[in-house]
Amino acid sequence: MTDGETPLRLEPVARVGGLEVVRQPAPEGAPTFAATYLTAAGWGFDPKGREGTARLVNQLAVSAAGPWGRVELARRLDRAGGSLQVDTSPETAEISVWGPRDAWEPLLEILAASVRRPRFETEDLARAVRQLRERQLRERSHPGSRAHAEVLRAIFPENHPYRSSGLGDARSVARISRAGLLDFHRERYGGAGAQLVVTAPAGAAAIERAVRKHFSRMSEASRDPLRLPPMPRAAPRRVEVDLPGHSQVEVRVAGPSVPQAAPEYPAGYLANQVLGGRPLISRLFQNVREQTGLAYGASSHLETLRQGGWWVAGAGTGADRWTKVVPLVEREVARLRDQSVPDEELTTVRESAIGEIPLGLESTAEAHQLAVDVVYHGMPADFWLTWPGKLRAIRPDEVRAASGRVFDRNRSVTVVVGPLSAGPSHPR
Amino acid sequence: MVPSPSARPRVRSFRLENGLRVLLAPEAASPTASVWVWYGVGSKNEHPGITGASHWVEHMLFQGSPRYGKGQMDRAVIRVGGELNAFTDTDYTAYFSTVPREHVGVPLDIEADRMTRALLLDPEVERERTVIYSEREGNENSPEFRVSEEILELAFRIHPYRWDALGYRADIEHLTPQQLREYYHQYYGTHNAVLVVAGGFEPEGMERTVRERFAPLPEGGEDVRVAAVEPPPNGERRAELSGPGTTPYLEMAWRSPALRDAATPSMLVLDAVLGGEVPMFSALAMRRGAEHPASRLYRALVDPGLAVRAGCSWHPQEYPGLFSIAALAAPGVALDRIEERIDREIARIQRTGPTPVEMDDARTKFQRGAALAYEGASRTGFRLGYFATVAPDGFEQRLLAALTRVTAREVRDRARELFRPEARIVVRYTPHGGAGDD
Repeated sequence: MTDGETPLRLEPVARVGGLEVVRQPAPEGAPTFAATYLTAAGWGFDPKGREGTARLVNQLAVSAAGPWGRVELARRLDRAGGSLQVDTSPETAEISVWGPRDAWEPLLEILAASVRRPRFETEDLARAVRQLRERQLRERSHPGSRAHAEVLRAIFPENHPYRSSGLGDARSVARISRAGLLDFHRERYGGAGAQLVVTAPAGAAAIERAVRKHFSRMSEASRDPLRLPPMPRAAPRRVEVDLPGHSQVEVRVAGPSVPQAAPEYPAGYLANQVLGGRPLISRLFQNVREQTGLAYGASSHLETLRQGGWWVAGAGTGADRWTKVVPLVEREVARLRDQSVPDEELTTVRESAIGEIPLGLESTAEAHQLAVDVVYHGMPADFWLTWPGKLRAIRPDEVRAASGRVFDRNRSVTVVVGPLSAGPSHPR
Repeated sequence: MVPSPSARPRVRSFRLENGLRVLLAPEAASPTASVWVWYGVGSKNEHPGITGASHWVEHMLFQGSPRYGKGQMDRAVIRVGGELNAFTDTDYTAYFSTVPREHVGVPLDIEADRMTRALLLDPEVERERTVIYSEREGNENSPEFRVSEEILELAFRIHPYRWDALGYRADIEHLTPQQLREYYHQYYGTHNAVLVVAGGFEPEGMERTVRERFAPLPEGGEDVRVAAVEPPPNGERRAELSGPGTTPYLEMAWRSPALRDAATPSMLVLDAVLGGEVPMFSALAMRRGAEHPASRLYRALVDPGLAVRAGCSWHPQEYPGLFSIAALAAPGVALDRIEERIDREIARIQRTGPTPVEMDDARTKFQRGAALAYEGASRTGFRLGYFATVAPDGFEQRLLAALTRVTAREVRDRARELFRPEARIVVRYTPHGGAGDD
């Protein structure tokens, strides 16, 4: 990092074969490096009838790639002290590499091989399919995972890419072949429309040189963007799934929400922090745990993607307590929509959100995540420098107005999953 | 090129007259400061009837002290953008707050206030009881937690490592506020604590601040040795569990040496060769998760389609603990086949030990991990506090040096000593469905 540079301001480096390269100065003195490739290859693009493809392509890209078989690649990473990680969402797929700063260029070469030349070896595919199948089963049987899946199914209509968690089912995964993975990869893991975020001790010129060396000859063909079907009108509804034998019931109150680019997002962000997004001091934590002792964890999350999103508020609680928790969570969501947030409460949450920015600069990995968020959402390079000013400009009435749209009452669902029949207070 | 393992930051270390050990690790460029207090109390100090007391007391230290009413500690730290939390294990309980550097005084004030004067009021203890139930219930939703509890029950007959730090459900029901207060006053205090401050501050000024806040505290806190010595195992112990879920799961465990044992370096190499992951030297902030395709267990179980996940785990503790191997069965694979394959893998390493390549990979992994493990104030505070609490001064550096000298023969001999059939514990979990109706 040179004088005047900060990890909070990103620097466009170049376009290499359509690939947009962005540099983030590493935190001062950080011993590590990180880079992430993002492309529009999420499960919203899964071929019909072969759901699970996007996740498998993403997972297998870091298994064996370029000149390295799976074991060789793993050893190479271990020896460099690095690691590869993947993340898939409905919209995008990401591949990240992390490791010591002195090995940044060899690690970038490994990332390039994973992005450009995954092998998709047959044995690897068989293994990944088995693992995916187990995750499918677990998603159905574990109360927390099942609650998440039921929330998405209840909120979004058929054929909506946000409706699933991208795992597919037994039949769809059985139809996936190596040729199908190669097709998906060829179509979706190119340069055009993709981004590479590099958090490194190196300057822009060195990064551009390395990227041109390792990421050249990527496809520049443009690809269709994700298209979301219209959201139908809906009324509030409730879903209950009895999973006997478990100890804890998962309660969720949820609904569709806005994309991060929506004008009401900053006020909606603060509203979510008030509701349950700010640990320990949020309304849900205070009322469901601290005041009543009904649950260990109670929180909310606002998932904003490029084109839309959803919100979830909830808690995990005992089979004898969930009927008390459900109305508490529903009441807190309604209160946010119906009443203004008191000035003092809003100030506390806002200053906390601003004050935490330095915590995101503790390490390269944490700083890098801030940069990836900016690039993912197409926000300005100085987003994190201007974010405090935006938050401070928001008034309580704007938070209330945004809550009405972000936490839309007419589309909300209540999902309860767990040993429902075990509780003495179950209404049935 | 492997970087030097000397990434440990420069530390200013001193002890106050009341017995409190203090470690200061200044990092001029850090935008944050992290305050940790490690107490040498954990579930090792409990006995049946009061299991879970350490963990419950941990919760209560957020519920009020003379200068911070209920919820005020959280609010004081979070309103400046900080984060705070705590955790309890068998051998220690640790509290931490990381804040923007200019606010480091806030957590220091809180920790000084609650080190010896937490209130543990009756109504707050009662309210927390159901919160702790809920935390336990959340864990019980996982078959892995159920199996892990059963393993501990089978492995330890008299040693307090027999129960999980969450405690038995029956004890959570019956522990009284007075018992918790007595427990707190016995174990919490300056003689049984280490204060670590890491990150962006000027060391002389910080030492003055620490002395001002903590030197007036009265002496207290006992570091009590566990007298119970677990007798040697006298035969294999087995259990079959069933419950909700969809995937059969198997865990095997063997009694292992304590952290300070001379066997620790060879145990760590054995863990790395078999499972690939060594948490003590895993600095990876972005990890591949459970995937270690070069490890022996992965290649023996996941590659041929017997398991979807396989690995081993060794968390060295103050007293002899457990080394375990676990596998999640692939769809349609019987646990017998997995168990048999694990036995063959154990026999192989007992016969020939690690290969030169595996030895080299393990050493590199330790050195690389250690070189990156102190990145950021929070990780530095964690790591310095952990070693200061569970090991003597200089232990980490000596251990790293010892790891460079471990031989393949020593690892082979360690495997022979560890994996004795009469010391084996096996718990198998068979799911009975429970995926619910569509």
